[in-house]
Amino acid sequence: MPRKVLEELQDLSRRALVSPVTFSLLFAFALAASIVAVTGGNPLAAGEEMFTGAVTGSGLRNTLGRAIPIVGMALAVSVAFRSGIINLGGEGQMVIGGLAGTIVAIYVPGPGFLIVPLAMFTGAVVGALWALLPAYGQTRLQLPILITSLLLNYVARAITGFLVRFPLADVSVTLATTRQVPETTRMPKMPLFGGVSLSLILVILMVVGLWLVYSRTVMGYETQMAGFNMRSARYGGIDVEQRTVQVMMVAGAIGGLIGTHLIIGEALRFIDGELVLSGFAWTGLLVSLLAVNRPIPIFVTGLFFSGLQIGGLAMQRNAGVSWRLSQVLQAVVIVAVACRLVIRRRDRRPSQPVDAETAGVGEV
Amino acid sequence: MTFELELRGITKRYPGVLANDAVDLAVHPAEIHAIVGENGAGKTTLMSLLYGLFPPDEGEIFIRGEPVRFDSALDAIAAGLGMVHQSFKLFPTLNVADNVVFRQEPTRRGLIDRAAGAARVKDLAERYGLAVDPEAAVEDLPVGVLQRVEILKALYRDAQVLILDEPTAVLTPQERDQLFEVIRRLREAGRTILFITHKLGEVMAISDRVTVLRRGRAVAHLTTSETDPAEITMHMTGRAVDLDRRAPEHQSDQVVLEVGNLTVLGGHGRPVVEEADFEVRSGEIVGIAGVAGNGQSELIEALCGLRETDAGTVTLSGRDITHADVTERRRAGLAYIPEDRYGVGTTRQASVAANLMMGHHRRPGIQNKGWLDRGAVAALARRLVEVFGIKVASVSGPVETLSGGNLQKVVVSREMEHQTPLLIAEQPTRGLDIGAIEFVHGQLIEYRDRGGAVLLVSAELSEILALSTRILVMFEGHIVACLDPRKVAEPEIGLYMTGSHLENQVA
Ligand SMILES: Nc1ncnc2c1ncn2[C@@H]1O[C@H](COP(=O)(O)OP(=O)(O)OP(=O)(O)O)[C@@H](O)[C@H]1O
Ligand SMILES: [Mg+2]
Repeated sequence: MPRKVLEELQDLSRRALVSPVTFSLLFAFALAASIVAVTGGNPLAAGEEMFTGAVTGSGLRNTLGRAIPIVGMALAVSVAFRSGIINLGGEGQMVIGGLAGTIVAIYVPGPGFLIVPLAMFTGAVVGALWALLPAYGQTRLQLPILITSLLLNYVARAITGFLVRFPLADVSVTLATTRQVPETTRMPKMPLFGGVSLSLILVILMVVGLWLVYSRTVMGYETQMAGFNMRSARYGGIDVEQRTVQVMMVAGAIGGLIGTHLIIGEALRFIDGELVLSGFAWTGLLVSLLAVNRPIPIFVTGLFFSGLQIGGLAMQRNAGVSWRLSQVLQAVVIVAVACRLVIRRRDRRPSQPVDAETAGVGEV
Repeated sequence: MTFELELRGITKRYPGVLANDAVDLAVHPAEIHAIVGENGAGKTTLMSLLYGLFPPDEGEIFIRGEPVRFDSALDAIAAGLGMVHQSFKLFPTLNVADNVVFRQEPTRRGLIDRAAGAARVKDLAERYGLAVDPEAAVEDLPVGVLQRVEILKALYRDAQVLILDEPTAVLTPQERDQLFEVIRRLREAGRTILFITHKLGEVMAISDRVTVLRRGRAVAHLTTSETDPAEITMHMTGRAVDLDRRAPEHQSDQVVLEVGNLTVLGGHGRPVVEEADFEVRSGEIVGIAGVAGNGQSELIEALCGLRETDAGTVTLSGRDITHADVTERRRAGLAYIPEDRYGVGTTRQASVAANLMMGHHRRPGIQNKGWLDRGAVAALARRLVEVFGIKVASVSGPVETLSGGNLQKVVVSREMEHQTPLLIAEQPTRGLDIGAIEFVHGQLIEYRDRGGAVLLVSAELSEILALSTRILVMFEGHIVACLDPRKVAEPEIGLYMTGSHLENQVA
């Protein structure tokens, strides 16, 4: 028995060594270290500051806090991608749902333990409804979700911009913003790691939930099969249109939840354009791509990206190296993983020189 | 005398499978050499190794006595090898000539000389009797012609050795005869042909020598003129196989499928199926014969809900399903073995089990309140694998690694397992070895005897004749005849299939 375990471990470490992720990480860190060294800094010290800044003290709290929207938005993207739907509307779903949840938190009277869940629920529902637009556009009118969902981001931005400028505006400040979320209806912080938002639990539940859905349920099976091969799924009796609508609603709901969390748990005011500027929807997209749309790797990757960003800030504070270096790191990891994936695919399907497939054209 | 081509001790292992086991193979120049063996015996693997698609674990390859090592198919092509795969690899939007010359375009003053390319393609095509129009767009061409384009591609690159992987599986009998004509001409021109097939009639008709693979080993090297199908079968399977005609059984009056004046429009707004009117009763197998491209595929797609109908009705077990979608039709009692096992029948990226459970995944027992019972799924998959003899290392492995015939068995077993009142079987035995064909035929007959209704489409007239209770013949979108297989012979069906009966009537 121990022999078998040993073999498994060997196999695991061998696979980890040749895995594109390991390679990319090493490559990215080596590159970043040489940049620091070339520009006259001390790469070891910078690295140490980055690491301790990301995982100790308030750094850990911030890393976990930032992971909430990154992982959340990555999950939203992944559910769509996994069923073959290119939903680029995460940003709009987050913004619209977020404002709806914020309105509930500000204007609906009641005790916090009722209003906070109600706000989150409202955010999810409105995000889901917003995602229904491109979904029906595709299933009823053959408008590709890829395009409509992206364009609707601008519409969402415009609608929320108008609302916070006029009907919902807080006239006491010069910003285009809503009022502050009252203290009683804010997302509570847990007495953990110096106060991480309760939403972390929600995100963890979503990770586990999605993992269960994909590995154990009919819904997960059907959406994945449709994502792999739409024609075959339709032939097998899967209602691809209905699945498209459901998946988009789930993606939109997650976006709305995260948007609401970002206001009632973090910013406390819905300031026009701020959610968009945060770029969480797009960071989430990258995380999901890197993690090949699987929930648990998304969680790990999301934590890592979050740590990079928080650690980068600490490094700038304490080692005098610009936090932009962590952005460089992030970018290099992405590019390196992407390259490795392509190379691996080439390995497996060796050259068929005069063939349309390698030239990117379908088979006849 | 040196061999044109020699393989010595070729071995290729996959996790859990020994796909090729110390295979020796020697081929003379200007020889037509058939490679036969059961599904999963390792034929495709051996040819892919030869063509440099991936390296063997052990063994050597010699071409005209010289040892060679191919790092990629480019090396193999440079050494004078050409291969035509089962799924064609062409640019649909380009024309034939552009596809053929791709990457080796003739140039004039540094620019591609399309006229010269087309002329050379035309010349080649004429020399070997490959009827192809160099200017035709590839996307509009039937499979038989696509295959000729692939052969032209190899010849254009001056292939001395041409490898054909199951070239006849997708061809009509007429197209097959034309292909054989081409192959013979190539042999006369001194080229060597390696040819994989499951049809021993073809082996006898065209090959000079035969190599039999069995479980990865080359178990026999035979000279065609000195052997017979029975001996080859014995080497392949270790037993005798009998595909004889079976007398049609009882009939019942219970109509399962009723098609009333069904018209289906094609891409150009032209009817591809016109006023099809027929029924299938329980306990009978109705065969549809016809030259490919006469509306059979469109008719079947329309019956299964994958294509819009224009007029007419479809009734299944008394329910009007004319406008139902696939899901509703399946629920109403229909299962379907599609012609295209790669694009429609299976999902390449998913596991064997995930493919086998498609359509069964909503059945109580497999699923409970939306939760999949993974034990039940595995049990279902294992049972189908065992009953149909699907060669697979593990049901959780990717379906992609299955051999062509084993993939076909995945589709056939899954659809038969539905036990619906109606089974639509389109080319159900395409790519299967004779043992498996015998088995599937037996299954279809059992299905019928249990009271199932089967609608069978096949390019193999012998299959239609062996299984059908009645035969419908399609020609140019019309059902032109309904024949009794006990009273007709192949030639007569052929007349209807080619529309010749019409000429006779006029005369
Ligand atoms: N990439 C792979 N990974 C694992 N196993 C494989 C792979 N490719 C082929 N095999 C296995 O090797 C064996 C031989 O496959 P091969 O495709 O050569 O069979 P074949 O003789 O061409 O059969 P068929 O007549 O069904 O096409 C099969 O058991 C197949 O499952
Ligand atoms: Mg094969």
